[in-house]
Amino acid sequence: MNSTRHPLRALALAALTVAMPAAYAACDAGPGVLRGKTPKVALAFRTDPATIKVGELFSLLAEVCPLAAASVTGLRVDAGMPAHKHGMNYQPQVSNSGPGKYTATGLMFHMPGLWQFTFDVETSAGRERIRVDYQAE
Amino acid sequence: MRRTAGLIAALVLANGSALFAGSAEAQMPAPAYSHDEIRRIMAHGPWPQQPLRDPSNRVSGNDDAIALGRALFFDARLSPRGDLSCALCHQPGRAFTDGRARAQRGGAALPRLDRNTQGLWDVALSHWFGWDGGSDSLWSFAIRPILHPDELGSSAVHVARLLRGDTELACRYRNAFDRSVPPDEESEAALVDAAKALAAYLETLRSGPSPYDELRDALARADGAAAARYPASARRGFALFSGKGQCSACHFGPNFSNGEFHDTGVPYLVAPGRVDSGRHGGIRRVRGDQYNLLGAFSDDAARASGSRTRHVAENHTTYGQFKVPSLRNVELTAPYMHDGSLATLRDVVRHYSELNEDRLHQDGEALLKPLHLSAGESEDLVAFLRTLTSSSFPDVSAAPTPCRPR
Repeated sequence: MNSTRHPLRALALAALTVAMPAAYAACDAGPGVLRGKTPKVALAFRTDPATIKVGELFSLLAEVCPLAAASVTGLRVDAGMPAHKHGMNYQPQVSNSGPGKYTATGLMFHMPGLWQFTFDVETSAGRERIRVDYQAE
Repeated sequence: MRRTAGLIAALVLANGSALFAGSAEAQMPAPAYSHDEIRRIMAHGPWPQQPLRDPSNRVSGNDDAIALGRALFFDARLSPRGDLSCALCHQPGRAFTDGRARAQRGGAALPRLDRNTQGLWDVALSHWFGWDGGSDSLWSFAIRPILHPDELGSSAVHVARLLRGDTELACRYRNAFDRSVPPDEESEAALVDAAKALAAYLETLRSGPSPYDELRDALARADGAAAARYPASARRGFALFSGKGQCSACHFGPNFSNGEFHDTGVPYLVAPGRVDSGRHGGIRRVRGDQYNLLGAFSDDAARASGSRTRHVAENHTTYGQFKVPSLRNVELTAPYMHDGSLATLRDVVRHYSELNEDRLHQDGEALLKPLHLSAGESEDLVAFLRTLTSSSFPDVSAAPTPCRPR
């Protein structure tokens, strides 16, 4: 089903688009935004497209928020299927699009099942690793 | 919502009075399709897929290019000695394969190639082409056998001269590309154009629905009686395929392939002291290919269609991986695997049932395990695979009407 055909869903998507900057600023709110954190950093991201299609490239927009006295200096993104012990067949490229904001392109989940994103956040106080699960259908 | 209601209705109808066709089970009422079973069946459709234009090929979908590509596909003059054509190995009557374990041009005196000839039905649905995915477009895939010394062994100049020297081909070329065939000094452009015409033809090789699709369509429209005509053995086989066997993890979606590459424990020793590196070599080849989707010959100005090529990762675990083939019409494409080492579908099922884990990459995927199938389960899986054979195919070898200059 095309999600944009349903009027309520289209409305929800529009609301999500409007709400997104606020959600990113807080790193902890907003429908459709995936989140993870450590005691030192929080991360919020959404994928494009919103629902990841198996076998198709996707990108993600992430914002990292320091929770302790440290600044974010970089982000690495990877993903894999823990149960199958394999990663992606593609190497994402991450670019910085503002303070704490990153865009990663060139990701692909090539199988259905449970995937796990791995975000390595570089901060002035060291590296923090955040893992976020995602079920690909 | 409407589809959900239909599926629920299908559950009810399929539990009614319909009977299986098989004689032993002819008096048994068909058990209901569960919601989960329907969901899994739906994931492998709809079929046929809508044809898509290739943005990297400006003559994709062009009728004159399709006619030119078709003519070139069957024309042995494409080889310098006039004895080899694409159709020699990709035979329409054999689902565009040659029936050999490994491809061999001409007679037995000529060298045998390292890999099995892949079928071409629905080939345009791929993103990577060849067992190693060494080509990232259908047209660059077509260039390789034209030039390879162990295949057609042709050259750009030879192709350009063939196109210029044949009135019908030259007419088709002019209509498709809005220019005359380039001279010898620009013959590379003629070669690429010929390959793009071949790709336009290959895009038309689309197989029709199979009994599996008829089942799927029946469930989608809540036609329980039609759904119940699907053989019970094949239904059990699909349950294995999408359940215990985990086959659908890789043989995913409408084309029964995720289009990617995996190690399935098939040996990749080609000859003593020589191995087939599979996907590992394919990635290197496509990255270094001047005809790849990031190169100057792509018609996609934004190079967006080259995203996979831009991002593909050269992991060491890709060594010995080969492409997951589509299972549509698999019954027609024996022998199987990248080296054609398995003669029948039963052999393939036995391979996965008795899988030798020692042959898998040591730090590769932890997905494949021996399935330890019973004889009945193996027969059920084969029965399911046979329901993926299309009931109809378009006539792809019929000659078009003569070219009329535009």
